[in-house]
Amino acid sequence: MTMRAAIAFAVAATAALMLSGPREARHDVSLNPPLSKIAPAPQFTLTSQDGKQIALADLQGKVVAVTFIFTLCSATCPVLTPMMSLVQDRLGPDFGTNVAFVSITIDPERDTPEMLKLYAQMHGADVPGWSFLTGDAAAIQDLTRRYGVYASKTADGDIEHSFLTSVIDRHGIIRVQYLGVRFDPEEFRRDLLSLLRER
Amino acid sequence: MQMMQNRRRFLATLSAAGAAGLTTTSSSLGQEPRPETTAVRLSKVNGTCIAPQYVAEEFLRLEGFVDIKYVSTDAGVGQSRAIAHNEVDFSLNFAAPLVIPIDAGEPITILAGVHSGCFELFGNDRVRGIADLRGKSVGVQGLGGSPHVFLAAMAAHVGLDPLKDINWITDQSITPKELFAQGKIDAFLGFPPEPQEMRARKIGRVIVNSAIDRPWSQYFCCMLAGNKEFIRKHPVATKRVLRAILKAAELCASEPARVAQRMVDAGFTPRYDYALQALKEIPYARWREYDPEDTIRYYALRLREIGMIKASPNKIIADSADWRFLNELRREMKG
Repeated sequence: MTMRAAIAFAVAATAALMLSGPREARHDVSLNPPLSKIAPAPQFTLTSQDGKQIALADLQGKVVAVTFIFTLCSATCPVLTPMMSLVQDRLGPDFGTNVAFVSITIDPERDTPEMLKLYAQMHGADVPGWSFLTGDAAAIQDLTRRYGVYASKTADGDIEHSFLTSVIDRHGIIRVQYLGVRFDPEEFRRDLLSLLRER
Repeated sequence: MQMMQNRRRFLATLSAAGAAGLTTTSSSLGQEPRPETTAVRLSKVNGTCIAPQYVAEEFLRLEGFVDIKYVSTDAGVGQSRAIAHNEVDFSLNFAAPLVIPIDAGEPITILAGVHSGCFELFGNDRVRGIADLRGKSVGVQGLGGSPHVFLAAMAAHVGLDPLKDINWITDQSITPKELFAQGKIDAFLGFPPEPQEMRARKIGRVIVNSAIDRPWSQYFCCMLAGNKEFIRKHPVATKRVLRAILKAAELCASEPARVAQRMVDAGFTPRYDYALQALKEIPYARWREYDPEDTIRYYALRLREIGMIKASPNKIIADSADWRFLNELRREMKG
C-alpha cells in the first residue's frame, strides 16, 4: 500500500467511524454487520388514510418500516413522525419505489381515515409511499401485541404506549426493531438501504 | 413468469399468514421459540431506580409470560442473595453488590447493563470531594450493603483505604439519610428516592452525582442478573425477560410521568414526585451506549484492590457474565 493509499484508507476509516457514531464503533466488530433475521412480520390488512385496504403482503418486494402512533399523541409521536419524514426525504427516489413506511394507529376509535389524512399532510408524508392505517380495534390490539408493542388506554382516555419501529425486508422478515424515538435517523436510513442492497 | 411470481407471493403470504395464525394466542414475534416457562419472579425493593423492572409486567406478558411475581427482598446484596437462593429468577441490581456474592461462588449470572446514574453522594460543609471522606463519619445501613460497597469502591478510586480512612457509622434503628439530616454524620450515599428527598428538603450538598460525574456516569449502575440454573434451563425465556426489561427501560425514558404513576398505583413507592424526578434524572434509554463488561471489570478491580473480593475481574466475567442474550438483542433492537 502506498503512502497516499494508506492516508486515503485512514481518512475513509475515520470518516466511517465518525458517521457511524462512537456507540457503534465501540461495540460492533464490524461497522456494517448484516441485520439478523428476527421473525416473519405479522401480517395485516387495514384501511388507509384514503379509505383503501392495504395489506402488508401488498408491499412485498419493498423494504418496509412499520410503526405505531396515534394522531392525538402529544408526548413522543410528535418526535417520531417528523424523524421518519426526515428519513423519507433523505431516501430520495428510493422512497415509495423501494422503501415504504406504514404508521398504524393505536387509537382506531378516534383516528379515522380523515384524521390520518390530516396527520399525514401535517407531517409532509409522501403518501404513495407512506400509509397511515386504521381498522378494527381488536385487530389492531392483536397486531400491536404481535409486533411487541405495548399500548393501553388510560383512565383519562389517553393512550400509554411503547415505541417500536420494525424494519421488514423485501421478503417479509423483520430484520431490526428500533426502540423509542431517540434513535439515529441516519442509522435507520442506512439499515433501510442495506436491506435494499440484499439479494 | 407472472405465474411463478404469483405462486411465490402466494406461498410467502401463506407462510406468513400461517405464522401469524400460530401466534395469535402466543407471544409477540411468535416465530421465535416459545419460552420454556411462562412463570418468572422478580424482586421488589425499596429503591425506585429499578423502575424498568417494576413496569416490565406488560412487556413480559407480550413475551409470553403468564405468571409474573414480584417478591419482596432486601436491596443490593439482599437481591443478589435472593437470586442465588432461587427466591427470585431475575433482578436489576447494582453492579458492585453483584460482584461480591459472585466472588463467593454464588450461582448468579449477569446478563446486561440497563442504566447508569442511580446514586448520589451527599456531604456536609466539611466534605467537598470524595477524598475529603478521610477521617469523616460516613453512614451506611450495614457493612457489605450496596452503599458501603459502592462507597468503598469510590474511596479506593481516589486512593483512600476505606477500611482505615473512613469512620463507618452503622445503625440499624435509623437510616443514614436521617442521621445525615440530623447532622450526626458527614456523608452518606443515597439511592432513589433518597437523593430526590434530600434535595427537596435542601439538606447537604451533592458531592458526586453518578448520572453526571465521571467515571461513575460511564459505568452501569443497575445490571440485570439472574439465577444461573434458571438461565441454563430457560435460555429463550431469559432472552425474552431481558427484552422486556430493555423495552420497559425505554418506557421509563419516554413516559416518566406515566411510569411514576404506575409505580405509585402498584405500591412500589409512595411518592409520585420523587419517583418522577428520579425517572427524569436517570438515563434509562442508554443501555446500548456502555459496555457491561467494562462495568464489571471496573468494580471488580476496585473491590479487589481493597480486599473485598479475591477473584480477578477476568475470572468474574468468565464465570458469571453471559452477554449472548444482550448481543443478540443489540443486533435486533436499536435505539
